[in-house]
Amino acid sequence: MNRENRILILSGVGLLALTMFFGFWYAVFDEHQTLNAMGYSLATGFVEAAGSNIDGAYQALDQYAALAREYRQEIHFHGHFAFLGLTLISFGLIAHTLGYSERLRVNAASLMAMSAFLFPFGVFLQTGSLHEAGKILAVLGSVGLVIAILVMVIGIMRSAETTG
Amino acid sequence: MTSTLADTNTGLLSTRASRLFAFGGIFLIVAGMLLGDVFAIFILHPNNARIGENMYAAAMAIPSGDADAILRYFQEIGGFLENRGTKVAAHTHAVAIGYLAVLFAILQPVIGWSAEAKLRLAWTFVLSATILPFAIFTIHYAGLAFSPVSFIGWASIVADIVGLLAAVVVVLQLVGLWRYFRSAGATGSVLPALGAPGRLLLTGGGLLLLGGFFYGAAYAAYIENLLDPGELEILRNIVSNAAAGQSVDADFGAFGGLLAFQGIHRATHAHVNTMGLLLMVFAFVQPYVFLSEVWKKRWARVLVIASFALPVCIVLEFRFGLIAGGAADISGALAIAAILAFLFGLVRQTGVQDNAGGQS
Repeated sequence: MNRENRILILSGVGLLALTMFFGFWYAVFDEHQTLNAMGYSLATGFVEAAGSNIDGAYQALDQYAALAREYRQEIHFHGHFAFLGLTLISFGLIAHTLGYSERLRVNAASLMAMSAFLFPFGVFLQTGSLHEAGKILAVLGSVGLVIAILVMVIGIMRSAETTG
Repeated sequence: MTSTLADTNTGLLSTRASRLFAFGGIFLIVAGMLLGDVFAIFILHPNNARIGENMYAAAMAIPSGDADAILRYFQEIGGFLENRGTKVAAHTHAVAIGYLAVLFAILQPVIGWSAEAKLRLAWTFVLSATILPFAIFTIHYAGLAFSPVSFIGWASIVADIVGLLAAVVVVLQLVGLWRYFRSAGATGSVLPALGAPGRLLLTGGGLLLLGGFFYGAAYAAYIENLLDPGELEILRNIVSNAAAGQSVDADFGAFGGLLAFQGIHRATHAHVNTMGLLLMVFAFVQPYVFLSEVWKKRWARVLVIASFALPVCIVLEFRFGLIAGGAADISGALAIAAILAFLFGLVRQTGVQDNAGGQS
């Protein structure tokens, strides 16, 4: 196991552990409550409109939209962390076979691992008051991931023999 | 060139722990994909139609001020959403945790625990991972029956417990990796040479992952900056037009279009990525698939074609509707057939290794 393999495999398993504990916490303490609140807000929007209270209906629908956005971002955070963890481990198993110098392989692995933490973390920050900072982190993370994966895929195609 | 820690006699299928992870993982992947196919054919579209019908009926109850009817319709919608949500979650959790199990099988030679401890961890993980999607699937049907608490049912409680157990095993695998990497002589690859079928799967998987990342980035940028009108604006139009006694048909048309747009793009993005990972995971097991090179190449081609076709067919649903949806289901079925062929080759390999005394 070379340095690039270790960086990716340890980061990948670490990401998976993080997201699985987050998933447990989220399922127990947040998900049901958020879903119930979303349903309640949406129904309230219609009920208020039925009582000719359009302002009240809009307020309830605003609340629904905010909750739906928060729910989507929390689910995305969990899902992207898990998917990126699996991706890191997968590239980690073959990183030493890429057709590059060792230095470039380690740099690409480091960029991929850092971006894989940054991107979902940015998505998560967007659920709170640090929305704009979260957006910047998510964009930086996604750019880093695209570059790192591009380098890895070209490396796979460059290497005549990919393992061993 | 790096030396290898594993060859076909000492790697993936050489210990009981790695076999358990490998076969448990492949079982979960196949079960998850089958559930996805069945869900797409029999539940997804009828369920979406029922949600739309009930939402429309709720809007129709606004002009008469019938709040009880509105709440009744939303109760129904909640049930349909739970039905859909739990099926999707069971599908995605089974497939993702199946991938992880196969990757753990490959990593077993570099986990720094005793063989006995590794086996115990493998049993805990595979049992938890198998129960998890089943429990999620059951949430909609079990409801709150016999539940010790008033707000979540037994199925949710079981899913939470086994999810936590699986997470603990992942942490222990991480600690095992750390222990191994800190030890002297921790060099070499855990994979033997993949061969031509493995390289085909690896390249296909890498390209799909790359495409999936571009697709996701483009979709996120479009949703964030260009999508108009958004969900909130459409919902506001529905309630205000209904309250004024005006037609809401155009608003519901826009609402249905928006949900289809989001649903299809999200499904395409998710499937490009998961099929990319599927190809990579099955590239890694190729050295252990005891089939002739010719048949390994054939099944590898089938899996690559199916993996590219599935997300393409999903996105074509915009233009061709259910015909493209049917083609996506056929692609999924083809991928399952290729996986079963590889599974057959892996089972044969265990016989070869056991005869040679290779399992510990």
